[in-house]
Amino acid sequence: MAIIAIQNLTYHYPQTTQPALQDLSFQVEEGEFVAVIGANGAGKSTLCYALTGFAPHFFRGEMSGQVLVAGLDTRHTPLEELMLVAGLVFQNPGNQISGAKFTVYEEIAFGLENLGVPPAEMRPRIDRIMALTGITDFANRSPYALSGGQQQRVALASILVMEPKLLVLDEPTSQLDPIGSREVFETIRAMSKQGMTVIMAEHKLEWVATFADRVIALANGEIILNGPPAEVLTSPLLIEHHIGQTRYTTVAKQAQAEQLWPPERALPVVIDEAEAGFRAYKK
Amino acid sequence: MPDNLSLYIERDSPLQRLNPLTKLAISFSLILIGFLGPGYWLATLLFICVLVPLSIWGKIGPEFLQRTVRLILPLALFLFVMQSLFYPGGRTVLWRFWIFSVKLEGVQFAYLTATRLMNMVGAFLLLLLSTHPSTLMTDLTRRGVSPSLTYILVSTLQIIPQMRNKANTIIDAQRSRGLETQGSVRARIGALLPLVGPLVFGSLVDVEERAIALEARAFKAKRVKTSLIHVPDSVRQRQVRIGLVVLTLVMIGIRLWPL
Amino acid sequence: MSMRIAIENLHFTYPSGVVALRNVTLAIEAGEQLAIIGQNGSGKTTLIKQLNGLLRPSQGTVRIGDWLTTEHSVAKMAARVGYVFQNPDDQLFKGTVRDEVRFGPGNLGFPAEKIELLVQQALTLLELTDKADVNPYDLTATWRKRVAMAAVLAMDTPIVIFDEPTTGQDYQSVQRLAQIFQTLHEQGKTVIAISHDIDFVAENFSRIVVMGQGQVLLDGPAQTVFAQAEVLNSTDVEPPQLTRLGQRLAIGPVVYTVENFLAALRKENDMQGER
Ligand SMILES: Nc1ncnc2c1ncn2[C@@H]1O[C@H](COP(=O)(O)OP(=O)(O)OP(=O)(O)O)[C@@H](O)[C@H]1O
Ligand SMILES: Nc1ncnc2c1ncn2[C@@H]1O[C@H](COP(=O)(O)OP(=O)(O)OP(=O)(O)O)[C@@H](O)[C@H]1O
Ligand SMILES: [Mg+2]
Ligand SMILES: [Mg+2]
Repeated sequence: MAIIAIQNLTYHYPQTTQPALQDLSFQVEEGEFVAVIGANGAGKSTLCYALTGFAPHFFRGEMSGQVLVAGLDTRHTPLEELMLVAGLVFQNPGNQISGAKFTVYEEIAFGLENLGVPPAEMRPRIDRIMALTGITDFANRSPYALSGGQQQRVALASILVMEPKLLVLDEPTSQLDPIGSREVFETIRAMSKQGMTVIMAEHKLEWVATFADRVIALANGEIILNGPPAEVLTSPLLIEHHIGQTRYTTVAKQAQAEQLWPPERALPVVIDEAEAGFRAYKK
Repeated sequence: MPDNLSLYIERDSPLQRLNPLTKLAISFSLILIGFLGPGYWLATLLFICVLVPLSIWGKIGPEFLQRTVRLILPLALFLFVMQSLFYPGGRTVLWRFWIFSVKLEGVQFAYLTATRLMNMVGAFLLLLLSTHPSTLMTDLTRRGVSPSLTYILVSTLQIIPQMRNKANTIIDAQRSRGLETQGSVRARIGALLPLVGPLVFGSLVDVEERAIALEARAFKAKRVKTSLIHVPDSVRQRQVRIGLVVLTLVMIGIRLWPL
Repeated sequence: MSMRIAIENLHFTYPSGVVALRNVTLAIEAGEQLAIIGQNGSGKTTLIKQLNGLLRPSQGTVRIGDWLTTEHSVAKMAARVGYVFQNPDDQLFKGTVRDEVRFGPGNLGFPAEKIELLVQQALTLLELTDKADVNPYDLTATWRKRVAMAAVLAMDTPIVIFDEPTTGQDYQSVQRLAQIFQTLHEQGKTVIAISHDIDFVAENFSRIVVMGQGQVLLDGPAQTVFAQAEVLNSTDVEPPQLTRLGQRLAIGPVVYTVENFLAALRKENDMQGER
């Protein structure tokens, strides 16, 4: 069953004439991992807000069409009820700290307290998530006395620990070190394998290509591509809409022009395919 | 990046371990008695004989004294100058120079006001320095106070460190772009003015961001909240709290209906 | 006056007791293009905050040209070192984009015409001209980051430092950023950037410093730095996409740009043809 069903969604922020999202329709199955890509201002964050009810409940503005999340119509369901099924990690980690707690450990517990999780159950859940996001060492630090990347890890852990049915992530690895970024993708991938549905806005195309089931590309608030990574990420539309492509795709395309890449072979989006293609031709 | 958002000092002491409500009761009864209780020396006595020993019991004596003095000294000086010179209806002249005369009544009034303020500031600081705000929040929520209300209370308690952090952030941004904030008094005052706007505006932005952060963590969910930490309380402490309420009422009573 | 940066035996501990820098020694010549990479929490931001005196050494010295950072106020240092914060929200405080951009040059005592010129140039460079009268807080985070950069570029300092400039920027903006760095380089300025975008670093910086646990682990050009996969791994850095691909294909030396990857591939191919 589709956990997300969007029909003709159009959304305007208050006092704007250009819609931030324009006539979007798509569905997402339970357990799917969908990446959303797009240039700056394409509408990625806005889509994240619309999927979790922050648009229109928090940002107000004008919404038409319908967004169904786990059967709930976001427009007619209060935000506090939506938050029980959908979790959102915001783009900017600095302002996701609750201000109610004074150590990283308590900060991560905060969501669980609000959900009414029994204390005995909290600790194992928190410990596990802290290990997965690599923040075990700062459990007792103030969430404010951290580096940018460490803060982003805390923001991520704070939502992950709540185990929402639908997890929406807005550029959750933007400040993470390279291996940290890949590990986050791996963690999210594993969680979606266990049934969590994931929507993630991202610029890091190599990891999108490696881990996502499906990619939706946005431009000016509209969906321009929606399909498997290998297909979407090799589309010429990506360059046209300032989204870019992986270095593997770039280099294979140029190599193809010089007869250094097999002419009939699809362009690669991940390192394994790139390696296989170049190897095939070396012989 | 701000380090810390609370004044709380982590020390292992019996005061630190008291239930936050008990400390809240101590602080408020001291403040009320100090202001409304009888006697000229009462506030002074409360400060010296109650607050200072309590702070030593909490192993935060030096910090307590230092902060109280730092907050109260400028205020006290101002009071003494203004009141001793300009207290209306003062007759007993102690000292005179040029067109000014220092009057006993004024000095007395200034002393009374200053010690009461000192008692109040001290009582607040004792609470803030010895109580982890999240313990207070957890405890009040457990007692059935609405979470939003306790959140507001706790944020209010944090307002000073929060403003200080925000101010430091802005000052860093300003000096990084060439605004002199050190040196002469003139430079300092000059640096203060451009701070006011961003401080107020920045705080407004923060409030909105906080609201989002809280929503995302299901703060408003209609569920019975649980809590990670267990805040201990005891029958003894409850008795003490009741005792404090009675004592406060009695003291105020004595002042209002003098025998 | 040469704006050489000399960091000697620098140690730094935050007041809370966190040791963030351990014995860092680094010299950066005027006009260099230097990137700093490394694990989250490895001390990159802490290190560059030492360069304009926002943080001061617990031990050791930091010298910018002939100035010790301990002997001059941050405001003075600002004439030499422009610093774009990691988080734009820590940097922006004015009511409009234009005021924000004008703030820096306005403090540096330039003549009025020069200030206007610098502001105009910076706004144009970051495509902010049509947003000049907007409140930065009405812009999205990505745009605020650009405002923060414009605000520092307008100060026209000999040294410009960027803390994670590519964060959240799309493909086109990253390319524009590369151009801006190139322009600054041509003007003879020292450009220092912290970044986790290793491909971007590989393609745009001639010198790379790798940090781990408060120390400098590696320091050199891309070829030598990216050859040290193990050291990089110890500080959670993966070599650029093309370096990894090149290593798997075992082509030539360390490659890290599209051009030198293709060059190595051609060479390899020619050699095979000859065989
Ligand atoms: N709070 C807001 N009020 C008004 N307009 C907004 C608001 N937030 C975003 N917008 C506008 O809506 C459009 C989509 O913005 P959105 O933030 O969703 O893009 P994005 O794809 O997330 O971009 P980025 O890569 O910069 O994060 C943009 O034109 C933006 O200026
Ligand atoms: N204000 C602070 N108070 C105390 N410790 C801090 C503070 N800021 C950073 N730290 C700590 O100092 C160390 C170095 O932090 P720094 O911000 O320099 O890291 P970084 O390399 O810039 O990381 P990132 O890539 O995540 O931005 C980290 O362990 C961090 O937790
Ligand atoms: Mg966004
Ligand atoms: Mg940093």
